[in-house]
Amino acid sequence: MEGLRVRSYIRAGLVGGIVAIYLMLEGLVERFGELNLIGDQVTLGRVLLALPPAVAAFVVMRPRTEAGRLVQPERRAGTVGGALTGLVTGGVMAVALLWADWFGIDRVRAVFVAASPALVEFLTFGRTIVTGALILLSVGVISGALGGVARTTDPGLRRPLTAGLSALIVFGLLQRVIPIAMVEIGLTPDWLYSPITKGLTWEGAAVVFVVAVAASIFWERRGRALRAELRAASDERPSVKFSVFLVLLAIAAVLPLLLGAVVSEVLGQVMIFMLLGLGLNIVVGFAGLLDLGYVAFFAFGAYTCALLTGATLNTTTGAAAPALSFHLSFYIAVWIVALLAAGLGVLIGAPVLRLRGDYLAIVTLGLGEIVSILTTSNWLQPIIGGAQGMRGVTKAQIGILNFQDNPQHFYYLGLAFVLLALFVSWRLSASRIGRAWNAMREDEQVADAMGINTTRFKLLAFAMGGAIGSVGGALFAVNLGSLTPASFVIFVSITALAVVILGGLGSLPGVIVGALVLIGLPGLLREFEEYRLLIYGGTLVAIMVLRPQGLVPNVRRMRELKEDERSQDAWAQAQAGADDGVAAEEPA
Amino acid sequence: MATEPSAPAKTVQMSRFERLPWRKVILTALSVAIVAFVVVGAWKTLTLPAGERFSAASWRDFVILGLAQGAIIALIALGYTLVYGILRMINFAHGEIFMVGAFASFFFVDAYARSGFLDRHHIPATIIVLFVAMSASVIVAVLLERIAYRPLREAPRLVPLITAIGASLFLQNTFRGFFGSASRGYPRPQVLTGTWPIFGLKIDRMEVVVFVSSAVAMIGLSLFVSRTLTGKSMRAVSEDRDIASLMGIDVDRVVVTTFAIGGMLAGIAAVLFSFTFEQVNFLMGARPGIAAFTAAVLGGIGSIGGAALGGFTLGLLQSLGPALLLTGYGVPSPFQLKDAFTFLVLVLVLVFRPGGLLGTGEAEKV
Repeated sequence: MEGLRVRSYIRAGLVGGIVAIYLMLEGLVERFGELNLIGDQVTLGRVLLALPPAVAAFVVMRPRTEAGRLVQPERRAGTVGGALTGLVTGGVMAVALLWADWFGIDRVRAVFVAASPALVEFLTFGRTIVTGALILLSVGVISGALGGVARTTDPGLRRPLTAGLSALIVFGLLQRVIPIAMVEIGLTPDWLYSPITKGLTWEGAAVVFVVAVAASIFWERRGRALRAELRAASDERPSVKFSVFLVLLAIAAVLPLLLGAVVSEVLGQVMIFMLLGLGLNIVVGFAGLLDLGYVAFFAFGAYTCALLTGATLNTTTGAAAPALSFHLSFYIAVWIVALLAAGLGVLIGAPVLRLRGDYLAIVTLGLGEIVSILTTSNWLQPIIGGAQGMRGVTKAQIGILNFQDNPQHFYYLGLAFVLLALFVSWRLSASRIGRAWNAMREDEQVADAMGINTTRFKLLAFAMGGAIGSVGGALFAVNLGSLTPASFVIFVSITALAVVILGGLGSLPGVIVGALVLIGLPGLLREFEEYRLLIYGGTLVAIMVLRPQGLVPNVRRMRELKEDERSQDAWAQAQAGADDGVAAEEPA
Repeated sequence: MATEPSAPAKTVQMSRFERLPWRKVILTALSVAIVAFVVVGAWKTLTLPAGERFSAASWRDFVILGLAQGAIIALIALGYTLVYGILRMINFAHGEIFMVGAFASFFFVDAYARSGFLDRHHIPATIIVLFVAMSASVIVAVLLERIAYRPLREAPRLVPLITAIGASLFLQNTFRGFFGSASRGYPRPQVLTGTWPIFGLKIDRMEVVVFVSSAVAMIGLSLFVSRTLTGKSMRAVSEDRDIASLMGIDVDRVVVTTFAIGGMLAGIAAVLFSFTFEQVNFLMGARPGIAAFTAAVLGGIGSIGGAALGGFTLGLLQSLGPALLLTGYGVPSPFQLKDAFTFLVLVLVLVFRPGGLLGTGEAEKV
């Protein structure tokens, strides 16, 4: 048969196999084996087994350029090629299983802790090893073939099906949220989510799938026009945009009432990291200064808030008053904290401003590490408690609202500060200051030459970012009521950075989405907790390599990135003559 | 700068307060404060009452320890410096490459220790262990370059740095998932415990071995870079990548070679480090990684001699600094602040002399 490229299938299949083995040894497959998505047949672990061959086949069957034109693989070639790719992936898994059995799973386990008898049982579906190997092979072939078919299917059919499958996975993953919300608004969730397996029931899954497919088809036919209409309307009358915002705000306001205490607690964490993300976004996204020591402001805010509101030290002999303590109301203290943090931002910023981008990143990393070492040190123990930390931070009560013991109440406190920070960021980005930051980020020397006082604007960015981050820290202190140095480590900086990067540098909706995805999802799924940092690391790499503008890109930023691509591509540059008229209209 | 008088007549009059060169004022104040802090601290420590004072022997031990640790730091620092020299990029994940080497060799050294091979034939066993550590580090370094860095070579400078941070976190947690989060004991060959008399001093055998093998590796590297053809093409690529490629040098190959050499040195450092501290865990790369980066910057990043000088200087600072400076102020448990010291040195070097001790000041701007 023509059109088969056996060598590239084998290569893709091997990569898929290595990924599958990675997932197994990392413990993901077995860990998620218990997480039922649909019935008790479709678990996330099984989905993880089927994904590598399917994705490998999907990728390897992509259209190729041959002699200058794009060649779409035929249906038959796609199916056979996908199946071959899947066969290799399944083969790798099967061989690994057979080898582990021959070598002795306990001996493998002495090295790889996740290679447990339970994993073997999961992979063989509780049968003998040989049957298990055959099952893995057929899983590989079938999902590989499906991946190949999916690539060669007409997009008009593929998009709705993909939407349906994604909806199934999302609904399955949100199994601890949606049923609670349904009960709260008076629906019985039992037809959708089985109370026994916790996952979707098959009937529920069918409904979700059909609805998602229908929605996707509707969107393909009518949605684009609708969106264009909406956009045109909002360009004419800003009130449309504002009402969309009000609707979103109303949803945000009722969320904790719908979702109960457990989910609200997660949402409270999301709020704290939204604040951190918004603050870091000013420094990194707006001004283009990569700050890797953002945890310094977080820790500063938390500890200063604790000291200002009269928290006590934890010591081995009980509580003790710190060497420096005030008894202010939280609502006064938080502004003082923000002011002091802004001052700290200037103080940190001033000596390091002359440094080039990557050096600045490393210096701030060092400063952040110094702060987290100081929080554990015996030296500062009399003031901030050292390794034992502090307790008794104010509950910031107003009337019956208790922001420490009631996660639903805390959510609203967080929301209020997030809205404030959003407003500040939004006004800043649209102002003269925001434009100065933009100019500085794109080319510092040119900005300087245009008369922008870069020193002042850089310091301003550090001060604003520091103030917002410290408020996040203050809220964190109020939420927990006690502080230990374990909360103030470099991973806070990296998490905040991941939140900003995932959403898109300089994009305010991006920060919200980033925090919801990176903090909210792992918080809701206890199974993910262990892999949180692994996922953050992978996200940073994947976003930077595949989609540097982020999930919800800042419009202006995206144009800049696209322009970069255009100017790098000599061929496109030759074509650009035709586009020049358009480019000239774009705001600089 | 906005502080310079500008030509147009209608400039806004700046107040005297605004015209002050703030940066200079802050830096001067900072340096005066630092010098005062160092002098007073050292004076106070050295004049402590006899009972609390460190003896001459303990100062000598601090120096030797500092040199031995400095040697390991210098080996890792070479990896940063090489990559920076070629690509002008900070390979933040280099500390994890070091960790990978340590972990891979752990399983061999552990098996050898239990079967007795490590002590019966310590030289072949150590060579195998070294080889394993080096290959693992090289594989990971090369994969990292291929997957995470090569697609971004033309991207803005901060993009690969962010990727590198992500890769570092990813590798750490991958190894946590593979091998668990507990620390594992890394056995040391019996021969290397105890002391050897050298110049009338009893010096830990491990420290001697660390010092000698690092020195050999560093000399080997500088010979490689200055004498071989590959070394010549590395220097050419570091000079100007585009022109080097016009001269027929395969830039991709040179970059891969650079990462591989950095990985090899990290592998050697990993074995030496693990023999010294006798344990491995998935976080072990983070702090030594940053210390090594500091050393590279301290000596002048991009220069091989600078990395060596920076490593030894930092090792001495780490072992002497807390004792010499902080004890005098009565800071409890000063060695807790050892790493804070590293970072402080890093910040100060970058602020006052961004080009490093041997550097040209090139890092200052753009």
